Amino acid sequence: MITRALLHLRHVGNDLSRDKGVNLALAAVLVLSAFLMATGAMVMERVVGSVDQLFEEARPPHFLQMHSGDYDPGALESFAERHPDVEAWLIEDMLGYDGAALSWSRASDGESGDFSDSLIDNLFVTQNDGFDLLLDGTGAAPRPSPGEVYVPVAYQQAYDLRAGDELTVETDAGSRGFRIEGFVRDAQMGSSLNASTRVLVSEEDFRELGRAGGGAPEIIAEFRLADPSAAADFQRTYEADDALPKNGQAVTFDMIRLINAVGDGLPAVALVFASLVLIAIAVLSVRFVIHGTLEGEVREIGAMKAVGIPDRSIMGLYLTKYGVMASAACVVGGALAVVATGLLTRGVEANFSQAPPGAATVLVPVAALAAVFVFVMAVCRGVLGRVARMQVVNALVHGSLLDERREARRARRRARRLRPSALGSRRGRAVNRRLALLDLRAERGRWILLPVVFSLAAVLMVLPMNLLSTFASPGFGAYLGVPDSGVRADVRFADDVEAVHADVVEGMRGDDRLTDVRSFGNVLMEAEDADGPVNLRVDVGDHRRAAVEYLEGGRPESGEIALSLLNAERFGVSVGDELVVDGGDGAAPLTVSGVYQDVSSAGYTAKMQGEPPSGADAYVVFADMAGEEAPGDVAAEYEERFPSASVIPMREYIQQTMSYATDALRGAAVLSAVFGLGVALLITSLFLRLVLSRDRGKTGLLSAIGLSSGEIVGQVWLKVLVAAAAGTAIGVVFAATAGESLAGALVASAGLGIGELTFIPDPLIAYAAYPIALMGAALLGTLILTAPLRRADKSSWLGQ
Amino acid sequence: MTQAVTQAPTAALECRDLAKTYYSTDPPTEVVGGIDLDVRQGEFLAVMGASGSGKSTLLYNLSGMDRPTGGRVLLEGRDLTSLDDREMSRVRLTRVGLVFQQAYFLRTLNVRDNILLPALKAASGKRQAAEAAARVDALMERFGIAHVGRHGITQVSGGQLQRASICRALVCEPSVLFADEPTGALNSSMTKEVMDALTDVHSGGATIVMVTHDPACAARADRVVFLRDGRIVDSREFGTWSGEEAGRREDDLITWLRKLGF
Repeated sequence: MITRALLHLRHVGNDLSRDKGVNLALAAVLVLSAFLMATGAMVMERVVGSVDQLFEEARPPHFLQMHSGDYDPGALESFAERHPDVEAWLIEDMLGYDGAALSWSRASDGESGDFSDSLIDNLFVTQNDGFDLLLDGTGAAPRPSPGEVYVPVAYQQAYDLRAGDELTVETDAGSRGFRIEGFVRDAQMGSSLNASTRVLVSEEDFRELGRAGGGAPEIIAEFRLADPSAAADFQRTYEADDALPKNGQAVTFDMIRLINAVGDGLPAVALVFASLVLIAIAVLSVRFVIHGTLEGEVREIGAMKAVGIPDRSIMGLYLTKYGVMASAACVVGGALAVVATGLLTRGVEANFSQAPPGAATVLVPVAALAAVFVFVMAVCRGVLGRVARMQVVNALVHGSLLDERREARRARRRARRLRPSALGSRRGRAVNRRLALLDLRAERGRWILLPVVFSLAAVLMVLPMNLLSTFASPGFGAYLGVPDSGVRADVRFADDVEAVHADVVEGMRGDDRLTDVRSFGNVLMEAEDADGPVNLRVDVGDHRRAAVEYLEGGRPESGEIALSLLNAERFGVSVGDELVVDGGDGAAPLTVSGVYQDVSSAGYTAKMQGEPPSGADAYVVFADMAGEEAPGDVAAEYEERFPSASVIPMREYIQQTMSYATDALRGAAVLSAVFGLGVALLITSLFLRLVLSRDRGKTGLLSAIGLSSGEIVGQVWLKVLVAAAAGTAIGVVFAATAGESLAGALVASAGLGIGELTFIPDPLIAYAAYPIALMGAALLGTLILTAPLRRADKSSWLGQ
Repeated sequence: MTQAVTQAPTAALECRDLAKTYYSTDPPTEVVGGIDLDVRQGEFLAVMGASGSGKSTLLYNLSGMDRPTGGRVLLEGRDLTSLDDREMSRVRLTRVGLVFQQAYFLRTLNVRDNILLPALKAASGKRQAAEAAARVDALMERFGIAHVGRHGITQVSGGQLQRASICRALVCEPSVLFADEPTGALNSSMTKEVMDALTDVHSGGATIVMVTHDPACAARADRVVFLRDGRIVDSREFGTWSGEEAGRREDDLITWLRKLGF
């Protein structure tokens, strides 16, 4: 037994050292596959683990309702008392500040700045009791002393802040400075997907800030339930009670979880996708190499069979090699994954909590690696099955893997494919092209590897790139339910929202640099679904000129309403259906004019035609640029003129809103491009190494009859070029068509409010630079592998 | 571009102090060392020797397939060792014909297209291509394989394939035909077919250099040289072959070879 194992290992050693190039390339692809699979699995486990851990420590609410303005605390109290499901509840008072009102100063280098470039609302709060805690790095719930502040870890990372730095708040009564005492993780608002973030101060300072003015007071009514799965029903009951505060957004526990997991789990999904593509490539390559090995060693295998060595032992000899390679790849890939996961989850662990390593931490990546190993070995075993079907005499005498009948059938098939005059009237160099294409056609079973690998590599590169360019494109406004215009002004955190809004609109309408100024008021209404009335946020304004793309139908006219996809699904209505909406002056049926995609406000929005009403909770003003003026300059000017309004270029708004996705995708797109190109180069080299070695006799013959090395190499180049170009074209077309549907389905299933995704590609990168780079990789591989052809003694190719 | 040294063509093929050493082994292996050889216009020369004596290496260095590590090779007075890869391949295409022990053919072409291939490569115009096609048909007729022209290469016998090899080697009307063990993989009846074909080519005035182990095949040559350890140790003139004295020539050759320890 031991002797046989030693014999197998010696065979493996000899085999590996005999053809180092091929084995190294194969090992590299296997290591990459294992590495990506393990990293994807580990990152997923860490993200889920960290989110779970933070949820356990911070205990976020199962249902929360935001509200600004007056409310009746007694109504909340009696509601909570009436519902035995409520385990605990609280009202959190908050003071909202625009980013421009907050500035920081670093003690280490004296640098300072503000948060005006961030769209995130900064909500100043005090530490809660019992649940929804803001936690510091140690997992404790800090209670700052007067003059101290704890800021979110996201700010710590973005602005490189440290404890001891200073945070200044602009109030109506002047500046108020705080010493940054530490950083807090937030289970409820910690995700990069969230539009708000919480800043922790002492009770005394909170009261002082309230008195000083400048902050917009808001509250969150938060509830912990005995049965968290009943949160949706609880929300319905809450919204049905007219006495309760509810003019802000309502959020359930599941949504908080989803937002946390999607924002930081996206890179893991991208990694797993990349690893699946790489595993497909690795398996195809392994298959090709085994076929090549069996063909090359057919006589040796025949001899082993002739002396009575059982098929199983012969297969075992070869299987050991791939077993050793695959297990080594899994070990190396797994080890690299540990390092990579550490780097990739640094942000996740800072944002959430570092989950203590448990059984799943080890088992999940090990199971992923085991799956890779088992799959690769199953494919190897399948291909090596040919050993059992091989006939000894045919193998020894004719060097054929096939039996006589199959060999004869193959000869007949080949003869049938021959044309009476394949060369036709071609002469000179045209003969070379003809020979190359004939060879490609005849050997398509072997050459198919290149187009398949290149198409997979193209998908690997183009798909994440297209997703990235779509999310980063200004045209993505269509998915945000907003028009694609020059600048956008949000009026929300102001003492007198109405007046500021009127001033902004007046200023913009009188500005020659701006045109087409549209204003929308965000109004809270109620709509009837199957179980009764629920809250509905509606943007009321002139939608006639807004370039919003509708999935179905079109913009609303008077007496109509357009709904976001998630709202249409929630109310179970489609275009032409009626929806009963109560805007405060009695319920009235409205016809659904259109359904659009929206990722803002958690995807639940609606649009109605009309004048922006007074008394809206918030206003948004859009304006197009009249000339060549930079939107950034105009926005900055308005931002200064109207400090309580947030004015930014549309492009920047989209960029910031989608930054959670674009940041994650940018890394994935760069990684995918590097892996795609690397794999294309590796596989081209591996493939040519085997093919050129197998075709030595043919190469020798062409040389003997008078073809120069340049012409022979030229034929190889042409074949590689045709195969790689065909594969790349197929891959790019697939990524742009079926890939779009696949990515769309993935995004739709994430429940973000996008039901149908249309790529907005960057054609220069996705359809020009990437294919050219792939062809470059193919040609580089060919250049390296064909170089020896120019140097060798031609006779050495004959007789082998 | 390197300049070929041109001399008055006193012989079809000459080599002076020809050497070939393989440096890939440790220590380097000298396979052919300092060979001087002249092959006359229209001569049929056989090269014999034990396995590993350097016969095939000599043939490949004379034919321009490989480059010698020392000495010079003159084909029709042109120094092959000074040619670059393109010029050398042009020489192989138009001035040299090669026949191997294994019949190497492209599987993607039928027998006729395989023979036609070098002629089409060499043709520069439609007229030349048409002439080449006519030459191919005439050669196939002459060597009795016209009926298998459209066959795939796996559908014909070894003897037919080797005759097709000879057709392909002759299609560009080379100045020298090189044959490396052309009958090594054939049975006796196929061997006779192939040797009759080569004798026929020679009787038409072609210059042939053939490497062989088989005294019966070597007996067809005008002259036989014997190699040992990469050097010519002896040579013997037999004169022009005629079928009637075949037995006597073969006996003479065997006696001579025995004296040389073959």
